[in-house]
Amino acid sequence: MADDAAVKSASELLYREALYLDTHAWKDWLDLFQEDAVFWVPTWKDDGEPTSDPQAELSLIYCSSRDQLKERIDRVASGRSIASLPPMRTAHTVSNVLVEEAEAQALRVKSVATTHVYNIKKREQNVFFSLQEHLLRPGQDGRLAIASKKLLLLNDYIPRMIDFYTI
Amino acid sequence: MTPQDIEALVDDRPADGMFRVHRSAVREKAIFDLEMEHIFESSWVFLGLDCQLPEKHTYFSTYIGRQPVVVSRTADDKIVCFVNSCTHRGAVVCHRDSGKARHHACQYHGWVFDSAGRCVDIKGQKEGAYTDAFLREDHDLRKVRVGNYRGFLFGSLKEDVPPIEEHLGDIKTFLDLMFDQSPDGLEIVPGPVRFTYKGNWKLQIENGTDPYHFTSTHTSYIQILTKRTKSNSAALTSSIYQKFDENSILRGAFTFPNGHAALWGETPSSESRPIALNFDAVAKRVGGPRARWMLHTRNVSVFPNVQFAENAALQMRIIRPIDVDRTEMVTYCLAPRGESREARVARIRQYEDFFNPSGFATPDDTTAYEDCQDGNRNDALEWHQGYMRGMAAVRPGADEFARELGITPLTSIYGPFSLGDETVFHQTYRYWRDKIASGMRAKRCQRELEGV
Repeated sequence: MADDAAVKSASELLYREALYLDTHAWKDWLDLFQEDAVFWVPTWKDDGEPTSDPQAELSLIYCSSRDQLKERIDRVASGRSIASLPPMRTAHTVSNVLVEEAEAQALRVKSVATTHVYNIKKREQNVFFSLQEHLLRPGQDGRLAIASKKLLLLNDYIPRMIDFYTI
Repeated sequence: MTPQDIEALVDDRPADGMFRVHRSAVREKAIFDLEMEHIFESSWVFLGLDCQLPEKHTYFSTYIGRQPVVVSRTADDKIVCFVNSCTHRGAVVCHRDSGKARHHACQYHGWVFDSAGRCVDIKGQKEGAYTDAFLREDHDLRKVRVGNYRGFLFGSLKEDVPPIEEHLGDIKTFLDLMFDQSPDGLEIVPGPVRFTYKGNWKLQIENGTDPYHFTSTHTSYIQILTKRTKSNSAALTSSIYQKFDENSILRGAFTFPNGHAALWGETPSSESRPIALNFDAVAKRVGGPRARWMLHTRNVSVFPNVQFAENAALQMRIIRPIDVDRTEMVTYCLAPRGESREARVARIRQYEDFFNPSGFATPDDTTAYEDCQDGNRNDALEWHQGYMRGMAAVRPGADEFARELGITPLTSIYGPFSLGDETVFHQTYRYWRDKIASGMRAKRCQRELEGV
């Protein structure tokens, strides 16, 4: 178990991440990630286990750099993807935050995310819920940043579409 | 609704240069029910691949039209299909998407069936005071006819259908072009992806071979590719459309009997194709022309419920109509067995990039289907004008490209990507119309014979 200060700073980073997504503060959200950060959403296999090797099995989303995440942001922000035109309104709730010390000053943070999604065009709402695991590490400026984020989507029977900001 | 009503939904007048489809075809519940009865539940429907049944007693569950079915490999290594509904009261007996089981026991009253669907135990049969009439009944799960073309498995609820090879016809060649990329055939990359949309199943059938939408529906994707090409960053996923120019690349389409169709195109950046890493070996095995066809993009629609899209990676999508305005897509990333790790990783990244409902292309397609369903709520506009591009250029029979492949399609067409052909849908809708209408007539005859 990590000390109180670590728990506080890790939790705050997760809440900040949620806030940036919900306010569409895309650049601020991206800045929370390290250059070579991994953003991973596995799929579920028929045997009830999630995929565990993104190089040999399918993922819903697998990005291994901030540049790849930026592509996703650019697409939503471009106004040219009809799936996000206009972008959904979301409310990300992060709870059950558990912080563990990991190797080399890093923190492993487990949490539950519930994301309410409102599709403005369709006047329709959905909820996605997932188990999250963040690996946080101090960046060059000493601030804690996301080295990896694995989001295990529990309700993966997907109505229409999902994207990085709707789960 | 009469057979004539169905026939009137397709305004098919080639001599007048006219082909239209009535918009009630995607909206009317009565038409949907007829589609289920006379298309999905009266002919061959795609089930899955034999690699989903790797050993004895393995199974997977799927649907034929509205009916849940199980596809299973028996104790004597035969692939069978049976209705997933207990003969006792109809409960589903197999509850998982796939697995391995010698027996399937109904969770309601406990009747037990083996992996061939045979009833092996009726709970308390001796004490049940059954009549002889009951004992004479067939208690096995209802068998479904199976057709197996090179591991592509099809099922038919109706026994009296032509052999699967005959039903597929020359679309088989397009299955070969996928299967033969490895001497050991195809496999599924673990991890199926399921999603739904609020629209009619035919919207997916159309989109799967629709070249016209790409430059308007996928502008955000094309924009990303343009940026990737400029940045030249190795960190970003390579794409076959990296050098996309709609006026310089060739695209064509073939139509076949029984509703099948295929769209093909030259690959703008074929070096980005996973198979390009192994091209010489493939060419040596299958011959130069076939190997070049493997590098082409191919969108194959095997009517009524499966499409294979090979552009970025290779996708198998199984279309399950749930209701007239609701469809489930079960999608898989396919790969040639034994490809290098480098090729496999490239394939998986390209697949996720393009095909996933969390990717850069599919969500825009799906949204467009829902927009169509929303717009089609009544007959304020009766006829769709979306079936007439290419009508002045399409030719009956084989063109030079079909001859290269050794196939005889009903129609052939090719031109620049910007041609955006729509004649590729014509045979599908003719088959759709004729299959429903003839099914209705046959049913009426049967009833008259029976004096109902």
